[in-house]
Amino acid sequence: MSVNASPQDGPTGSSYSDMVGITLSSRVRLARNLHGLPFPDKALPEGRLDVRQRIMEAAREVLPLQEQLPDLPSLSRQRLFEDHLISRNLLEGRPESAICMNAEGTHSVLINEEDHLRIQALRPGLALRQAWEDVNALDDSLEARLEYAFSSSLGYLTSCPTNVGTGMRASTMMHLPGLVLLNEMEPIMNGLSKIGLTVRGRWGEGTTALGNMFQVSNQRTLGLSEIRILSDLEEIVQEIAGHERNARERLKQDRAMFAEDLVARAEGILASARLMTAQEALERLSELRLGIALGLTKGIEMKQVDSWLLDVQPAHLQALVGREMKSEERDLERARRLRSLLKRPTKPRGSKKP
Amino acid sequence: MLCENCHQNEASVHLTQVVDGKVEKFHLCEDCAAQKGIDVHAQPMDLSGMMENIQDELAHLKEERTPPHSARVTMCPICGMTRKDILKKGRLGCEHCYNCFAAEMLPVILSLQHSDQHMGKVPGRSSERLKASVETIRLRRELDKAVAGENYERAAELRDQIKALPVEPGEA
Repeated sequence: MSVNASPQDGPTGSSYSDMVGITLSSRVRLARNLHGLPFPDKALPEGRLDVRQRIMEAAREVLPLQEQLPDLPSLSRQRLFEDHLISRNLLEGRPESAICMNAEGTHSVLINEEDHLRIQALRPGLALRQAWEDVNALDDSLEARLEYAFSSSLGYLTSCPTNVGTGMRASTMMHLPGLVLLNEMEPIMNGLSKIGLTVRGRWGEGTTALGNMFQVSNQRTLGLSEIRILSDLEEIVQEIAGHERNARERLKQDRAMFAEDLVARAEGILASARLMTAQEALERLSELRLGIALGLTKGIEMKQVDSWLLDVQPAHLQALVGREMKSEERDLERARRLRSLLKRPTKPRGSKKP
Repeated sequence: MLCENCHQNEASVHLTQVVDGKVEKFHLCEDCAAQKGIDVHAQPMDLSGMMENIQDELAHLKEERTPPHSARVTMCPICGMTRKDILKKGRLGCEHCYNCFAAEMLPVILSLQHSDQHMGKVPGRSSERLKASVETIRLRRELDKAVAGENYERAAELRDQIKALPVEPGEA
């Protein structure tokens, strides 16, 4: 089943935490529409069916895993959403919508979302240029079989004028617990919005950023080349990562006991709690992730924590168990799984195994 | 108080004038005021009427600035999207809406994007002329920047690159 693909798979071993410690992943998506046909919202069902058929056909070779979203069980859609592969819009199974993916889930096309096509490429770590090269090649191969709506002055024409031009939204996922703990995130967020970048929490609505995970993306899509947008974004992401490294250093030097206490509490709760909501799991795992980065948590790899961050989410958890569960049952199961993952033999600190 | 002019009748007209930044007050009788051409029976200004006039004026100006063909368009003939819907939802219905509602959309696009000219990728299948025109615009902007920065070597390179591109129709 195609929905098993996990885009979070990346390198292994010690290089992993260097690569994705602060900047977890990079993503570039392109909005495209077919020439001569109304955008999905304004199209008739037959029109959308025709569009879906044409795009699935054009993508079959490069993106062989294809699913019509309204036909999928809602739990599978929820999982795709948790994997960041479909938007909230498609969660309800928009009529005539579909997803086409490669086996790894790193390349995908959404059909009949707000635009006819949303083409996406994902890379681990800070790799915006590579993600752009991936998505650009994908776009070329689709464009050889499809004619896009394009104007020489406004570029690729999209349903919403916030995407017109390049149709490109590039983003990086960042883990910024140091800046959040030192209350330095707000001025950074304000500053970024002034220079045309958007910062959103990875989970949760509005400004709350569960698990200190932030997504930084470009706002402007017109009047700049793709490369220029990407290099501007990359420069800022590196700057934020520098601030985060600096904040972590200060945590370690000036507030060592505070940091050690926070991480030890997270370990304790994860290893002992009997009921755990997804929200709490994300918060504690984020602290555990910081613990690994600061060298306080031993015997657990960051890669493991990153896969747990996915596994504790409702649809992933239910897929692991293999059946649908009510919220309370999930909290019980989530706590049980985390306890067994974090169970350590009673040996001195430093030699613990997960 | 007696009239400041004739010093005989009671002053019933009280004027405050600002002349060259100095506030001057006059107290006159009706006769003297009339002699000086002051209409003492004038009605106070009707501000509500004035506001309406301004609004009419603005609406009129707006229509005048809008190209006549698009001023009349309230619905896209291709997809049926109405002007009202677009302004409410901020979404367009089809590619043709961008032409149809250019008068409404261009200011919106400019304020969102700070630009009205695409500088990025051009579909591979589009005509050589279209590709060249986007490329020309890009190179011209770079040229402007090079000249402004007094980087004449780069400017000369860019000028050569522009010359090498196919010429757009009507732009020899």
